[in-house]
Amino acid sequence: MLRVAGLTRRFGDHLALDDVTFDVVPGRMTGFVGANGAGKTTTMRIILGVLAATAGEVRWQDQPLTQDVRRDFGYMPEERGLYPKMKIRDQLVFFGRLHGLDAERAAARTDKILGRLGLAERASDVLETLSLGNQQRVQIAAALVHEPIALVLDEPFSGLDPLAVDAMADLLREEVTSDVPVLFSSHQLDLVERLCDDLVVLSRGKVVAAGAVSELAAGPTSTYRLVVDGDAGWLRDVRGIQVRDVAGGTALFDVLDGAVEQKILQEAISRGPVLEFGPERVALSDVFREATR
Amino acid sequence: MKTLDKPWVLIAEREITTKLRDKTFIGSTVVMLLIVMAAVIIPALIAGKGGPDKIAVIDDAGVKVVQQASTTTGDGYEVTRVADRPAAEKAVTDGKVEAALLPDADGYVVLGKDRVDSGVEGALREAAAAVGMETNAGKAGLSPAELHAGTKVSLQLLKPGPLPDIVSDFVNIGLALVFYMTALGFGMMIAQSVVQEKESRVVEILAAAVPIRSLLWGKVLGNTVLALTQIVVIAGASLIGLLATDQADILEVVAPVAGWFVVFFVLGFVAPAGLWAVAGSLATRQEDLGSTTLPGQMILMIPFFFSVFAGSSAKTVASFVPIASSMSMPGRMLTEDVPVWQPLVAIALLLAATVLIVRMGARLYERTLLQTGRRLGYREALALEAK
Repeated sequence: MLRVAGLTRRFGDHLALDDVTFDVVPGRMTGFVGANGAGKTTTMRIILGVLAATAGEVRWQDQPLTQDVRRDFGYMPEERGLYPKMKIRDQLVFFGRLHGLDAERAAARTDKILGRLGLAERASDVLETLSLGNQQRVQIAAALVHEPIALVLDEPFSGLDPLAVDAMADLLREEVTSDVPVLFSSHQLDLVERLCDDLVVLSRGKVVAAGAVSELAAGPTSTYRLVVDGDAGWLRDVRGIQVRDVAGGTALFDVLDGAVEQKILQEAISRGPVLEFGPERVALSDVFREATR
Repeated sequence: MKTLDKPWVLIAEREITTKLRDKTFIGSTVVMLLIVMAAVIIPALIAGKGGPDKIAVIDDAGVKVVQQASTTTGDGYEVTRVADRPAAEKAVTDGKVEAALLPDADGYVVLGKDRVDSGVEGALREAAAAVGMETNAGKAGLSPAELHAGTKVSLQLLKPGPLPDIVSDFVNIGLALVFYMTALGFGMMIAQSVVQEKESRVVEILAAAVPIRSLLWGKVLGNTVLALTQIVVIAGASLIGLLATDQADILEVVAPVAGWFVVFFVLGFVAPAGLWAVAGSLATRQEDLGSTTLPGQMILMIPFFFSVFAGSSAKTVASFVPIASSMSMPGRMLTEDVPVWQPLVAIALLLAATVLIVRMGARLYERTLLQTGRRLGYREALALEAK
């Protein structure tokens, strides 16, 4: 497990990170969200050792993270960068070896990933001749080539069209085994909701929310939504709930007593067709707005 | 699976293979090769084409004098027989002969166009005197041996230098120039390669994967290997040139100093190489290099002009000053008799300076490499905290 423990970073008088603590659990994708300047990139750069922390530390398997271990991490920095005038295959082999693979293994991995990304026939093209989307794919390949033991991706999907996002997400799922923790930051909350298992919300250098996406999105109370073919006004008379809103056949209510929602469903079915029934999910963007307010 | 534990070797390898595929680098090396080959071969061809100087004479006595003169010089002279003085004058004016030797009332006249080579004049003067005196001695009843008894003068040098003056000047300047050009050229390449990595942001991935010092060492190592290889290739080419034009005797003078040259070259190259890398890491774009490389250029340029233009005692001092010593000590060792403690002291000083400069360079490099915001000054960089 990758643990960020009490990270604090000052730039002069500016407190960029204030006692940031969270875990990135193996086999789960952890989304890292926050407004611009919240400290996401600073946190990631500290995890990768590119920047030093003023206080706190990064731990790996309950030990302080060392340069040796970090070398097996995969990293996609916010500011994309590879050698523009180097052939992409040479480039990926170089990064594979830089992360500790031997030459043969690096070549085999490179060919596999390039094939998977549909870039096999461009292997000996110079990077700068590729389209931006393809350069982005090569960038993610550079983070994956050495079979990293942990992945840190700073805005990996920014600038990609939805199809490319799906392709990259598939690649990530395929490449990332169940013992690899993945941390990725993004502004695209719908994407985070779709892809991530856990979520860490950062605001002005502080963690303001953290936990499983399903829990965070479920909201603090159990709110249900019922849509029937007819009028739902009868709900106002039911005990054990607090009706929030009724408009024609659509109602929104909070369950106060456990299991009362099942009785309501039975009641609704006996009265006529039920079009929709279930817990009302809070959009992640609302969680985000709420948490960072 | 994870095998490579020396990332700087990999960095150096990439540096070398990238350069070897770079057309401008290969092109400039080829041009340098051609220039060196030309410098070695063309003078030999010009010297060889002239053949022996031709001297015009109009009688047998003249022939005898020219033949005598031929025995005292290497190339010898070729006798050109002409009918009379006007014919001799015409041959001189037309440049068909170097000079003409004409009988005069009290000996001979050497006839030239606008000037007569002092070697030719001296040889003819000496030969005329020798031939004349032998004739006179014969008339007086003396044998040539009796005549020359006790007159032989031979040359002994107390401090013989291995090469003639003018040659040693060229050698001194040439060696200093080779070092200066190579160190400057490869220095700029190091700075460019660093700033390219900053510009393309790839440095962030590199720095996350390996210690920043490894990046620095890899670059310095790779470029040192390239620079040395380039020099060896060029030295090899000039060697072939020398052998092909029968100038191999120069090698006997050069060979013993070659090892020293390599030591001075490597140390003198590595010391500023650290600074060149810093010049790259202070910049954020290629255009910044003009100002950030200035100290590096000065560190090479000042010792270069000093070692080329200074007088001989100043040159001796320069041959101990680190970096300047890389430019002047090998040359001095070629052209003077330098006691062996002198290069050893110079190397010790150079080594100490290299360690100091490289240490400072590594520190600055570590602090500035990931600063991509704007160009930094050296003073600013020194005041930066680590990371």
